Amino acid sequence: MTRLEPKQTIERLIGAGALVVAVLAPLLFNAFWLDAILTQTLIFGMGAASLILLSAYGGMISLAQTGLMGIAGYALGNMVSEGGAGGESKGLALGWDPAVALVLAIVITILISFVFGAVASRSYGIYFLMLTLTFGVIANLFFGSVTKLGGFSPIAGIDSHTPGFIGDVVNDRQRLYYIALICAVVAYALIRYLVRTPFGLSLQGIRDEPLRMASLGFTVPLHRMLAFAFAGLLAAVAGVLAAWWNGQISPSDLGLAATIQLLVMAVIGGLVRIEGAWLGAFAFIVINNEITNRIPSDGLWVVGGTFNTVVGLVFLAIVIVSPDGLMGVWERLWSIRGRRGGPSAGTTDVRQPVTEAIP
Amino acid sequence: MKVGKWKLLLLLAVLAVGSAIPASGALATSGQAGEVKIAVITDCKGAFAFGYELDIGGANAAFSDFAGAKPKNKKKPSAGITGATAGGAKLTFTGYGCGDDTPATMLKEIRRLMVQQDADVMLGPLSGDEAVATANWAKSHPDKTVIVGTAASQDPTMQIAPKNLFRYFGDGAQWNAGLGETVYKKWGWRNAAIIMDDYSFAWTSAAGIITDFCASGGKITKRVFPPLNTTDYSSYVRQLPAPDKVDGYFWVVGGAGTDTALKAFEQAYGSLKAKQHSGNLFLWFLTGAASAPKLKGAYIGGFGIGPGLKTAAANKYRASMKKWYPTIPAEDSFTLNYYRGAHALVLGLEKSNGQVGAALQRAMPRVIDDPYQVSDRGKLRLDSRRQAIQDQYVMQINATGKFGISTVGYVPNVDQTFGGSFAPNKPAPGRNFPSCTKKKLPWQGKIQVVKNGNITKQFIK
Repeated sequence: MTRLEPKQTIERLIGAGALVVAVLAPLLFNAFWLDAILTQTLIFGMGAASLILLSAYGGMISLAQTGLMGIAGYALGNMVSEGGAGGESKGLALGWDPAVALVLAIVITILISFVFGAVASRSYGIYFLMLTLTFGVIANLFFGSVTKLGGFSPIAGIDSHTPGFIGDVVNDRQRLYYIALICAVVAYALIRYLVRTPFGLSLQGIRDEPLRMASLGFTVPLHRMLAFAFAGLLAAVAGVLAAWWNGQISPSDLGLAATIQLLVMAVIGGLVRIEGAWLGAFAFIVINNEITNRIPSDGLWVVGGTFNTVVGLVFLAIVIVSPDGLMGVWERLWSIRGRRGGPSAGTTDVRQPVTEAIP
Repeated sequence: MKVGKWKLLLLLAVLAVGSAIPASGALATSGQAGEVKIAVITDCKGAFAFGYELDIGGANAAFSDFAGAKPKNKKKPSAGITGATAGGAKLTFTGYGCGDDTPATMLKEIRRLMVQQDADVMLGPLSGDEAVATANWAKSHPDKTVIVGTAASQDPTMQIAPKNLFRYFGDGAQWNAGLGETVYKKWGWRNAAIIMDDYSFAWTSAAGIITDFCASGGKITKRVFPPLNTTDYSSYVRQLPAPDKVDGYFWVVGGAGTDTALKAFEQAYGSLKAKQHSGNLFLWFLTGAASAPKLKGAYIGGFGIGPGLKTAAANKYRASMKKWYPTIPAEDSFTLNYYRGAHALVLGLEKSNGQVGAALQRAMPRVIDDPYQVSDRGKLRLDSRRQAIQDQYVMQINATGKFGISTVGYVPNVDQTFGGSFAPNKPAPGRNFPSCTKKKLPWQGKIQVVKNGNITKQFIK
């Protein structure tokens, strides 16, 4: 059995501690915090994790993940909502079985991810970023313009139509929290597993040396496309959870501002480690909520502005001081300790777990 | 990359402060006995950000008139008020919410002010789709009371209609009652085209125009739907029939798009002729726009208010607004509708003895004195879905002088169903609903001429 380094031991202890706090959260936090902060963190953390997965292990910074979350939400909303008096006035309102709709929403999103991935898989760097941004914008404009599928108005009542095994998430918000927690933990474990499989290792090889991997016989675009589709699965689950959490979906949920918000969450957390997704989402959501409550009605002293000003300043501070986000701060603390003669420090390089995994 | 210790310390300090903030926020908040918490939510961003101070000013003025409050700053309503009480309870404000006309931001503000700050009553929102989102939220929060601010989509009180949501003014369709009949009779329009923003308020607003015009015998030959916030309208106005193919055009294009769309029309079809153009309240806001002088004399839809109306109630309201907030325009429904909502809330709290939740919802007035209601001796009534049945006014852009509007028609007691055209079991207004049908409307042939602010006994012919 491999002996763990002190840093790894501490990280695992922190991880276990965080999980214990998460499980006990309903006892520790008030209802607002549980629902509006923690549940939202778990959901958007999953969305950010889909972005970080592609970035950290595939070298692809995708701006399509919010769009994919929205596609899942819209697919679910159109299929489960019911029309008629007192029912939903927007969208198709098909009134299908929620379990069938849930599966279909996820499958549809994965299929669209395949298509997006197929188109974008041959592009790199800024071109990949722009292509995926275009996908996001297309998704936003599509749902905003095709009024039969919703249009500019929200499709509501999605949370009232959940499958039996999910139960009532309208009145029992603890239930939704635990569902989001289970999904987040499974997503995290799945990502950790995937990046250690031969597929994950070759994806990281493609990230570092795509030409060399191609010359070794790997089908680089196919690998990238499959990774994109897997990230699409995570985004789809996050999108479904977000639709249940919000109860409704509208084009602004997948607009440019929402796209940038997800990217900011990922960057605040750190684009190099999956854990950063939930850390970044938590930081962003807390700043968003708490600062908004404390800003005077006529704007901030001296600088004026609102929450966006504050989050912009925090974002700026983080990327200047620690381009690897909050996870990078953690790594740097260990670097300082290492320089003082402590045990060997870790590195912010995401390749570290990979080299460990190679026999 | 090497990072200096000082930078790291700085960041850690920022994070420490950041983590201290939520620690305080995680504590549960609870209201004190004898206290009613109110969240006034409007837009401070987006296309309707200009309504922020107007809305808050309207609400604060009503709390000052009826709940004994005093404005902190007469030039800046968002500075707040002090000393408001009703039904023996102290009224406190959890904050002035800031939307941006999107449902997502509205829900965020609702969570912050209604859930986290635990407000009992919401007065808002401002715009149509925000109200759709709010009504759906209200459905699953029956203990909270929502009084719609100035949002005028039909759905919140027709298809959704939660029992804890009230609206003390007409929806966007009601505001346009009488306009179709007016252009049909005054200018002889028989065939018209309509161009409308592609979202719920514009659909509702257009639904009122279409129903009223078609009920009189007019035909809508073309409907065009530019997406909201379009910046280039050329392709959309090209879809409209040429001026020699129709008698007129109805414009339901809002915000910065109104003037841009009219300019695009001129580029496509030549100069605007006032007698060929009409539209909803969006045309009120053309002051200073290049197209404004060319529309002098055009008839346009109302806003649930009759500016310049010479009645005792309207005079009293105008004087009151001038007293509390001299710089806030009183005769603007952004101001007036929040005033109406706050007034109703005070009456409700007085009747419920400061109780909130179901008790307040039962106590909310179903009949209320309104500054611009003339029918039924100035009493505005709510229908069974808690939606106002309200007098409406047809407007005209002044034919001479500076750009301005005058009240020219009075339409008594307009209800939300338009004589059965709309109903909870019918679709909400959309691109193709309602269809164009000749029918009898309750106010047909009863639109009274308004001259110099006085309602005459003459009918529009």
